[in-house]
Amino acid sequence: MLGVAGTIVAAIIMIAFEIPDLRRKKLKKELWVFSFLMLFAVGLGIAHSLNWPIPNPLDGIRTVLQPFSDFIYGLLK
Amino acid sequence: MMKYMLKTVKISARQFAILVILFSVGTTILVIPGILAQEVKQDAWLAALIGTVIGLLIVALYIAIVRKFPTMTLVEIIETLLGKWVGKAVSLSFVFYSFIGASELLYYVGAFLTTQLIKETPPAAIHIIFAGILVMGVRLGLETIARSAELLFPIFILLFLLIMFSVIVTPELWKIDNLQPILKTGIKPMTRAVILFSSVFSLPLNIFLMIFPISVTKPKEAEKHFFSAIFIGGVCLFILITLTILVLGPETSSRQLYPSYTLARRLKVGDFLQRIEAILAIMWEITIFFKMTIYFYASITGLVQTLNIKDYRPLVIPLGMIMVTISLVSHPNVIHSAKFDYEIWPVYALTYGLVLPLLLLVVYIIRKLINFDKKLFVKNE
Repeated sequence: MLGVAGTIVAAIIMIAFEIPDLRRKKLKKELWVFSFLMLFAVGLGIAHSLNWPIPNPLDGIRTVLQPFSDFIYGLLK
Repeated sequence: MMKYMLKTVKISARQFAILVILFSVGTTILVIPGILAQEVKQDAWLAALIGTVIGLLIVALYIAIVRKFPTMTLVEIIETLLGKWVGKAVSLSFVFYSFIGASELLYYVGAFLTTQLIKETPPAAIHIIFAGILVMGVRLGLETIARSAELLFPIFILLFLLIMFSVIVTPELWKIDNLQPILKTGIKPMTRAVILFSSVFSLPLNIFLMIFPISVTKPKEAEKHFFSAIFIGGVCLFILITLTILVLGPETSSRQLYPSYTLARRLKVGDFLQRIEAILAIMWEITIFFKMTIYFYASITGLVQTLNIKDYRPLVIPLGMIMVTISLVSHPNVIHSAKFDYEIWPVYALTYGLVLPLLLLVVYIIRKLINFDKKLFVKNE
């Protein structure tokens, strides 16, 4: 629970810090990208604090590259 | 089309060289001696030497590309050469690569500190604090990062010399026998060792194509500095690896997770200089911080350029938060991490550090031969 609260508080502070500045400068695209990434970050943070399974990006990389790795190490055995 | 504030940021050729040295020494200093000793035993120093020569060749390849596009970053080069959509897809995968690189380093910091120095602290605390400094640094910009690198570099060199001399003045610690027999390893283990060495030492240098040459004041001078920086980094690592093998011997080195740290623990000069392993930890923290910063900076500026955004600063905090979570979930334990570094990372680094630049060069030559795209060369002039 501490993790969830921490993530949300940190996110609120950062949003309060960043969004007025972006709106004042009228940077629309930045605002969208920032909001999207922030939502994603908060979601990930909460999911991690609640011990939900998060897909590990390294496993994805491994799935793609394992054949090449086997091939190279096979050559050098 | 892409006139950003990125291009107004300038660092000097000297600062660039310092960043390259810190980047290439980076993680290599702590992790690589053990991996090399596993592969080629007492000939680990030779692998470092060959790896340095290959590093110089790789830098030559990068400079060859950069000379064709002196006003562009890697992401822009990719988009110009591969077209808009393929280019954007490749750029995004490059962004992902450097982002994963940064979060891997964050994992390293946590793993090292919680296994060796502060064992009771939960890794999340260390990851968050370290990511905090990282976010601060990147938000302040490349110039600030470069100046702080300039400030910390003498400390790094001083500590390195201290470690070196404390080994040299205590001859009872080291045995020449540990280095013998020389050149006994076959060509295949040596190739493996050199690939593993390059995958952390020289192949990730393609990250610098996001900074060099557009953010460096004198690109011609920086080219020369690029070579000498890699050479200096290689020599530092060569010395450190040789000392580790000399003191610990190939067997012990290959069994340790952080052999150079174990080396520093053994050092004892007279009765007054002991337990200087913290020095090595500080050196490592300095280098890994800059390595991580450059990875992170490259991934953010890459993302900004792919998405055509003007300012990169707003993206720093959310990406930093994502990085903390990713680094916490990426490796459940040290064995998973060691396996990934051995099996997958070298291939991953080869893809972006060697295959991608070669591909770009080939596409450039083909397009120049066919010359169907005048725009490419007009833009370049």
